[in-house]
Amino acid sequence: MTSFRADYGGLIDRSRELKFSFDGKPYQGFAGDTLASALLANGVRVVGRSFKYHRPRGVWSAWVDEPNAIMAVTLNGRELPNCLATTTMLEDGMQVRSVNAWPSAAFDLKGGLDIFHRWLCAGFYYKTFIWPNWHMFEPAIRKMAGLGSVSTDVIDDYVSDQIHEHCDVLVVGAGAAGLVAARTAAEAGHKVVLADDHHAPGGSLYQVDRVEGRAPQDWIDEQVTALQAAGGRLLCSSTAFGVYDHGLVGLIECGHFATAPRLWRLRCARVVLATGALDRPMTFADNDKPGVMSLFGAAELLARYGVVPGREIALISNHSLFKNAVQQLESAGAKVRVLEASTTALQARGRKVLSGVSVDGQHYQADALLVSAGLTPLVHLWCHAGGKLQWCEQRQTFLPGAPPAQMTAIGAANGTFDLAAALDEARAAGSGQSASRSDAAVQFTPHWPAPNSTGRQWIDFQHDVTLKDIELAARENYVSVEHLKRYTTLGMAADQGKTSNMAGLAAMATIQGVDIPHVGTTAFRPPFVPVPLEAYHGHHTKSHYHPVKRLVLEPQHRAANAALCEYGGWLRPGWYGSGERDAIIQVEAKMARDSAGILDASPLGKIEVMGPDAEDFVNFVYYNSVGNLKPGHIRYGFMLSESGFVFDDGVISRVDQHKFVISCSSSHVDSVRNHLESWRQDGNDPARIFVHDMTQQWATVTVTGPKAREILASLDLGIDLAADAFPHMTFREADYQASSVRVARVSFTGDTSFEVSIRASRAPLLWNTLLAAAAPLGGGPIGIEALSILRTEKGYIMVGKDMDGETMPHDLGFGGPREKKNTAFVGDRSLHGAMANERDRKTLVGLTVADGAPPLPIGAHAISETSSPRSIGYVTSSYQSPNLGRPVALGLIENGHDRIGESIHIRHREQFRSATIAPVCAFDPQGARLNA
Amino acid sequence: MRDDRHRWPATADFNAPIDLGSATLTPVPLTRQTLVSGPDVRAQINQALIGWPDIVENDSYAIACRRDRIMRINGPDAREGWDAANNQAISDASDAYAVFDLTGTDAMDLLKRGAEISLQSPSKSVARILFGLGVFLYRVGDKVFRLHVARCDADALVGLLKSAGKSGRSD
Repeated sequence: MTSFRADYGGLIDRSRELKFSFDGKPYQGFAGDTLASALLANGVRVVGRSFKYHRPRGVWSAWVDEPNAIMAVTLNGRELPNCLATTTMLEDGMQVRSVNAWPSAAFDLKGGLDIFHRWLCAGFYYKTFIWPNWHMFEPAIRKMAGLGSVSTDVIDDYVSDQIHEHCDVLVVGAGAAGLVAARTAAEAGHKVVLADDHHAPGGSLYQVDRVEGRAPQDWIDEQVTALQAAGGRLLCSSTAFGVYDHGLVGLIECGHFATAPRLWRLRCARVVLATGALDRPMTFADNDKPGVMSLFGAAELLARYGVVPGREIALISNHSLFKNAVQQLESAGAKVRVLEASTTALQARGRKVLSGVSVDGQHYQADALLVSAGLTPLVHLWCHAGGKLQWCEQRQTFLPGAPPAQMTAIGAANGTFDLAAALDEARAAGSGQSASRSDAAVQFTPHWPAPNSTGRQWIDFQHDVTLKDIELAARENYVSVEHLKRYTTLGMAADQGKTSNMAGLAAMATIQGVDIPHVGTTAFRPPFVPVPLEAYHGHHTKSHYHPVKRLVLEPQHRAANAALCEYGGWLRPGWYGSGERDAIIQVEAKMARDSAGILDASPLGKIEVMGPDAEDFVNFVYYNSVGNLKPGHIRYGFMLSESGFVFDDGVISRVDQHKFVISCSSSHVDSVRNHLESWRQDGNDPARIFVHDMTQQWATVTVTGPKAREILASLDLGIDLAADAFPHMTFREADYQASSVRVARVSFTGDTSFEVSIRASRAPLLWNTLLAAAAPLGGGPIGIEALSILRTEKGYIMVGKDMDGETMPHDLGFGGPREKKNTAFVGDRSLHGAMANERDRKTLVGLTVADGAPPLPIGAHAISETSSPRSIGYVTSSYQSPNLGRPVALGLIENGHDRIGESIHIRHREQFRSATIAPVCAFDPQGARLNA
Repeated sequence: MRDDRHRWPATADFNAPIDLGSATLTPVPLTRQTLVSGPDVRAQINQALIGWPDIVENDSYAIACRRDRIMRINGPDAREGWDAANNQAISDASDAYAVFDLTGTDAMDLLKRGAEISLQSPSKSVARILFGLGVFLYRVGDKVFRLHVARCDADALVGLLKSAGKSGRSD
């Protein structure tokens, strides 16, 4: 044996030496090592510091239940925080740092905090930082709390792959039981996936000499070969972290360090859990000392990595399963002393690391103390799926009870710790039979924490929860497991209590004088292991996170030097040209009033409602009456929610008796379509109404301004464009260059406007023709920003901007249908309730400022003139109007309609302004230009 | 408002095959796409009605979108609006959807990255959510998959397929 590496054994490749550093010191390991095994092999005992007391901590286990060995790892400039050393495979050149320690884990300046442990009990910060104000201390406490820190560097290509797959049988865990179950199922003709979180299958089989008369590796190879020959699939390095509805299991597949893991969404007809069991720590004085380790964790470190945890080992166990481990450790050259002790008689000795063990005052020298207080089956996935647990007195643990649908637990996960019995269970489960649990072949002596005993005894290593914290929680009546968990933070660390929950429950049971099952367990929720958020969003990252919708005319806008901005999920021109943004926008708004503006309005909804009941349906979903709308005419209207709040506004065009086209807000097309479809299918006859969202079929170009008619005439559509022949709120259908066009005379600017809709592929021709016609007349393209000025001048609302979630139509000045409409419509009832009739409802008004004053800030609050000032509303839209030569603004103000002419105070970021409440329309209130 | 024109690459023209690494996406020009809804529309149609994982065999066919809606592909020109005689709502959707064929040995693997899909799980409808976007997805060959996506979402879908195409095979 060299150092703590056995001369033989393990799955490591001893021909491939890997160099790495830990806390600045260089070390070496082998390919196939984990960080933890490499550090232990090099004799490193202190691998981190504890969360609260900064106590030195060593490696406890060999896999996902490790609470202590958490590290920040850098490789090739890529740093990941909080890597579990027992599951992070060693790679050449890794720079590893302990977390929560400075300058190193071996010597941590904050280690002195442990002296003050009496004052740092559970919930200490609630009790000791009250005066003068908790918030004074909070920043410092938050800074000290937590393990590790996230690097601000971005890993550019860290994008998780995601894949959906399905199978007949998913077997979780490729130990002995899992391998046999998967093979049996595959050979029975099922589509089988066998998933295991290790990079090599076999589970704990490497700890034994023979399996069914064969060497473990040979036996494992045989099972894998047979599985794959039968069409089964083996997924290694893949952890099943959660079970969700309808047989969906989430798996995370890890690759090389700092490469994003792959998420598997696996839909399974049946799940076989062969997840094994975890070793439980013993609770005794100073049981957190580096050198105190899990018995089976140490056996696994030896079996997989050829690492011997110590040269002089003490061992305490409450069962007889330790014998094989003793034999293996002794074969590897270690001296093993098996002790028998109660928790009250036991104490770990040593200053920083373990140097010995005291049992009833008798001192034994040891550099490693291997303990096992029993085995806890890994039932997390079982509980995710809704499975129940039942207490087994014989095994002193919770076992799978009433099963969830299509799930079976086998082997150690089912409490079957005997290999032969586990294989029988696996064969039964693999062939679809229910596996009956046999009587335990192993006896477990109760070995639980002993409250009121001496010494500091750790229950939750990762969150520094001690037995005294549990006792304190009980004294303060936090006896429910859910309260205990939250008060002490027991089981709330990244390991989710894998090693601590059972000890905590048992301690509380003893304190209360009840059985452990009476205390119960907390809920198991996904994920079983920490999963990077990256895995959940996968390819939906950066520009793919929430991709914008693209206009068919985008190439034309780019060619015209448009500033493209996101408006309601669409990438649309905000303004055109280079230079000072606000000045350009002012020029565009002025041009539209003086001559004409050409606007790409393609995102406006074009939802067709057809069928014999279309009229009744549209009349029902709209606040305004639509039943009397004649073909060829258009009406402005609101859609309401059932609560009577404005959901959307838009115009309805009636094409003929059985067809309407709903033009809703650009950003609401999807929700309006769903709203319509929902009402169509619920409360109406869906065989007589059909909703087609044709927004993508049609592009729309708006021509607005006093020269609009002249420009539109250039299309030679054969339509009489005269005001009396083609009045406001009507539409005409025509042909343009062999394509159908729909010309609607509607306006969102208050000027003469025509919205010309054409099939999308023909839009560039239409756009270019209209621009060419507008140019000699002084017109040109305008963006959304100029449009916003124009519509604010007129007091036209923008849904979502000039309202809040409680705005009703009468708040916006549209009270007529509420009083007069005599057919049912969505939201009707709510418009007549007490809330709808409150006098102080916020209503839409215009706001003016003193001559020469700048525009009001959007979002600024109007403040009451009372002794206790409060918000009475806010500014919703505000711009400098180039056409009026002064600012214009809209706002929602309490009882605003009755307060026209009243002066109010406006507050924004500690600045105070005054404004006068005015009518909403500031430009052409008689509508002469609109109807011209 | 912020000028984001440089954050988003110019929208693509989609007139040439797109290399996705493990597969190829080829734009498909169709003569006509017609959306037809009606209570009995599935029985009324005289073209082959395609579901999943059916394979299209003719140039003219119909895809089933839901129980009362189909889309006729390269079908006859039809008058838009409500057809009272047949109880059908008809809309020309020829420009509403961008259409692509996805080919290559890894094409199915690529689709599985964006949708829960399997040749062993048939469906009467070809409507799917692929990478969070609504699409119509069906087969025009044993390993040739045809996608219809709303025109405004075509860039997003291609971008997501390219991103997924960089991932290795999952087997």
